[in-house]
Amino acid sequence: MIDIRVEVPLAGPDLRVEARLPAAVTAVMGPSGAGKTSLLEAIAGLRRRARGRIVCGDAVFLDTERGVDVAPERRRVGYVPQDAGLFPHLTALGNVRFGARGDGGRVETAIDTLDLRPLLPRHPASLSGGEKQRVALARALATSPRILLLDEPLAALDVELKERVLPYLMRIRDEWKVPILYVTHNVGEALALAGHVLLLRDRRVEAQGPPLDLLSSPGLSVEAEAGIENLLAGRVLAHDAAGGVSRVELQGGIPLSVPLAATRAIGTPVMVAIRAEDVLVSSAPMPGLSARNVYEARVEALEHTGIDVTLRCALPAAPSPWLARVTPAAVQALGLKAGQPVWLAVKSHSVRLL
Amino acid sequence: MLSRDEAGVVLFTLEVAALATVLIFPLALAAALGLARYRGPGKGALETLLSLPLILPPTAVGLLLLEAFSRRSALGGWLAARGLEVVFTWKAVVLATGVMSFPLLVRSARTAFEDVDPRLVGLARTLGCGAVAAFFRVTLPLAWRGVLAGTVLAFARALGEFGATVMVAGNIPGRTRTLALAIFHDSQVGRDDRAVVLAAVTVALAFAALWTTELLSRRLGRRSEE
Repeated sequence: MIDIRVEVPLAGPDLRVEARLPAAVTAVMGPSGAGKTSLLEAIAGLRRRARGRIVCGDAVFLDTERGVDVAPERRRVGYVPQDAGLFPHLTALGNVRFGARGDGGRVETAIDTLDLRPLLPRHPASLSGGEKQRVALARALATSPRILLLDEPLAALDVELKERVLPYLMRIRDEWKVPILYVTHNVGEALALAGHVLLLRDRRVEAQGPPLDLLSSPGLSVEAEAGIENLLAGRVLAHDAAGGVSRVELQGGIPLSVPLAATRAIGTPVMVAIRAEDVLVSSAPMPGLSARNVYEARVEALEHTGIDVTLRCALPAAPSPWLARVTPAAVQALGLKAGQPVWLAVKSHSVRLL
Repeated sequence: MLSRDEAGVVLFTLEVAALATVLIFPLALAAALGLARYRGPGKGALETLLSLPLILPPTAVGLLLLEAFSRRSALGGWLAARGLEVVFTWKAVVLATGVMSFPLLVRSARTAFEDVDPRLVGLARTLGCGAVAAFFRVTLPLAWRGVLAGTVLAFARALGEFGATVMVAGNIPGRTRTLALAIFHDSQVGRDDRAVVLAAVTVALAFAALWTTELLSRRLGRRSEE
């Protein structure tokens, strides 16, 4: 549990945030200038003029009323800024070791978690954007942080790099059990990673709650209009070279056909991405359809995101709902409403393997 | 070549310049860091004050030092009462050369510190470094080129200091006579040939100092880019 009630003086209006963050991962969202980075810096202790109260678990970072203001080096916060902020005079290994605690076991685990072995002797100047982000993440993890603060860890990366770093973030979430505050503009990332969203606007909290509940809030729908992706975890089951597809089993045992990816070993964990607008919705079963992936589901809710409507569809076995994006006209034609059974279809070629 | 006395002068000059540089080093770095990070009122005045010895006539600086450290002054009297005689001793040479070199080191180190991204220092703090550790592990390693250049510049300036030294330390053979003073003396008494030899020595020393820095800078630079 992270408890924040803080005022941070900034140029222009002050940042005021009051929030209780229950989940392991909180996505901090909102337009540029909303105060997302300043909030992370205040938690890290880098905004010395911040006032109020910040409590992380059983550690009090800031309590102005009681005269508590713990120095940044004693907060044990793993902060990864947007540009990674690696020390240019040190190698990747030197960076990872910089703040390491304990006997070095943490360093080794962080290096392995983020696949850094081949990069260790190199200096930051020779690393790509994604490599820098991975080194910076490992550097933060090696300090055994109480909390991880990630400022748009994927924003500086192109799509291909994004797809390589995202799985590492999910591993960190699942294996390290460190609470994470994660700044992002990407609704799909928030849905895939976060159990809670803190939406900032004009240096105030506009809304907070589970990401799916916030989809139709105005602040988020602007971001959602740019495109929502279903990001789903699974593992490779089989390759069918003649059929041109690989079969993946998603969480909950849901089968999914994807374009042939023979390079992925059977059994390896994978992430897949399906754009919400690539999910076809039917109010009746669809026999004879070419799409390989058809699922029976139930509409949980309809959210207006921009001009379109995003359907939250519950698959019986899936741990979280799937999102499908349709036009208001389709909602009318199919008479879609909450609680209604639907059939979802996804072409193999609409699935991207991450 | 050099006579025994002249060799003694060269050695004395090197010792004094080195000692002055070592003594001002921590003070100048602290001042440079303060100026680089300080954003409050009076910053400009403070900078100007610290740079003053660069533009004042060295004899004026020497005169001020003479006034401050002579036995008649409060400070000089206090020091003399504790058996520390400064004026017209080798200590006065160190004092004069140190004061004259100080702003050169401050300027060059300040620029170097200003070029260090303060966010990297903040990150070092979040990674468990106190303010002092962050300085030695991040700020200084990133600014070392400028600091090294400033140190050599300060050392070279100390080697050639004349005006302030002659005022506060005099030109006493075997006690306070440095290379610059010896050149002046030889020329004054008509031993121009010796003055030229000593001038050649100063050229060689200055060249050696700068060249060593260049080599060092290049080698260390290459290592950190590998």
